[in-house]
Amino acid sequence: MAASETQGVSIDIRALRKAFGGVPVLNGVDLHVDPGEIMVIVGGSGEGKSVLLRHIAGLEIPDHGSIRLNGMDLQEYLRLRPGEKPFRLSMVFQSSALFNSLTVAENVSLRLQEYRMHPVREIQQIVARCLEQVELAGTENKMPSDLSGGMRKRAAIARALAIEPQIILYDEPTADLDPILTEQIGELVKRIQETRRTTQVVVAHNLALALRIGTHIAVLHQGRIVDYQPASALSRSDNPHTQDFIRAANLSV
Amino acid sequence: MAGVSDTIEQPMPPARRGGLLAGLGRPILNTLQILGEGTFLFFSTLQRIRPTGRTWTRVMIQMVRIGTDTVPLTFLVSLFVGMVLVVQTADQLEQYTQEILGSIVGLAMTKELGPVIMGFLIAGRAGSAIAAELGSMTVYDEINALKTMDIDPIEFLCVPRLIAMTLALPMLVLYADVVGIAGGAIVVAFDPAVKISVHQYLENLTQWVNFKDVVVGLIKGAMFGIAVSNICCTWGLRTRGGAEGVAMSTTAAVVWSFVMIIIFDYFIVRLAILF
Repeated sequence: MAASETQGVSIDIRALRKAFGGVPVLNGVDLHVDPGEIMVIVGGSGEGKSVLLRHIAGLEIPDHGSIRLNGMDLQEYLRLRPGEKPFRLSMVFQSSALFNSLTVAENVSLRLQEYRMHPVREIQQIVARCLEQVELAGTENKMPSDLSGGMRKRAAIARALAIEPQIILYDEPTADLDPILTEQIGELVKRIQETRRTTQVVVAHNLALALRIGTHIAVLHQGRIVDYQPASALSRSDNPHTQDFIRAANLSV
Repeated sequence: MAGVSDTIEQPMPPARRGGLLAGLGRPILNTLQILGEGTFLFFSTLQRIRPTGRTWTRVMIQMVRIGTDTVPLTFLVSLFVGMVLVVQTADQLEQYTQEILGSIVGLAMTKELGPVIMGFLIAGRAGSAIAAELGSMTVYDEINALKTMDIDPIEFLCVPRLIAMTLALPMLVLYADVVGIAGGAIVVAFDPAVKISVHQYLENLTQWVNFKDVVVGLIKGAMFGIAVSNICCTWGLRTRGGAEGVAMSTTAAVVWSFVMIIIFDYFIVRLAILF
């Protein structure tokens, strides 16, 4: 696929707040993601990283604040019919969220099949191409239960790629994976950026991965973005929360 | 992508300590909340029924799972229910007359036992599977994955299950009626304690069981199908908290289905008597 076909879109988050049962989780998040960049959101467990990502995906409704995709309000975007949307958004879930009753090919092609976006033969070609891109060629007829954890994750990425999205959101894409598989997923995310220029937002607590793949890194602490740096400059940040996180990551290596 | 199913996906408020009044009120509020969610889901599901080829393909898949796969079990259960009915009733009627055995078995099977037993069987077998499947899909973000793909989970998951169960259950009820009556006939033929012939049994049955009795049984089956699929989808979609949550939802879905079947049964009988 030519890079020009899937130019990424910008994400602009302003004063985003969310509480569950009176407990605040997001306390006014401001974040800008440029088109085609890989933004990695890091932070400790329970800081609201996944909740933030789910807001961008439209799975949560904010109590306050706004999210704009290429200047369009997210709620307005969500109200559009699939065919009317000016760009597409995919999400890779921590659990992979593959449908266990469907084969890998059916999982990857589900949205294309549902909306009859292409002729059947073309859908088969798209599925084969996406699986090849994530190095899962030949697994079309396997069931998700036949795949290893790393393969499931890659199949989930293939499913995300199949609709040629302009934004891909990843929720802890390397959680529960060994360092080699983590490396492979990181490479895959980088390769997607190089070949498709897709805007990618990755939620991770693996700092090494964040530094390797991120264009920018945002540090989320107690529901706020407390630091925002180019990946190459993160280690020089004087923010105490960032320093704490780097220290803790170094200790855990 | 926050949409219609969101009202049934809000986390349950945490249990708070309270006095006796709060202890009494909480289960009532929870029950009302579940009833509200179920009603909302039912109308949302109805609203999304579209006669597309894709919908019917999914309905057929569910019909096989709910209906065809239950046929052997239906055969076994209803055969023995019919047999037990004859054995029990024949023993009671020995001092009077066993000539009315056919009408007793026929009316019991078509009006009451066929629909209710099939409702229970479907709730336990297919309903629990629906609640567990949707529950684990909810817990493992598969429902959210559908939403991010612009696929409506209610249209994709609940519509085919509702239609399939509503169509499959009356068919299974009819099958259970026939098998149950046949089971009774087998006992009549071979049990020396039963003094009437199979011919007498069937003649008495056809005299007393009329078309309306069979139709009311089938209507009951369809209503139970609607209730069971709706309850099980509701519990599946409101599942929280991993494997334990799935187990809890599945159990609750089956228990609620049993209770609703009996309640629906009462009201359908009341209505049927009016006509």
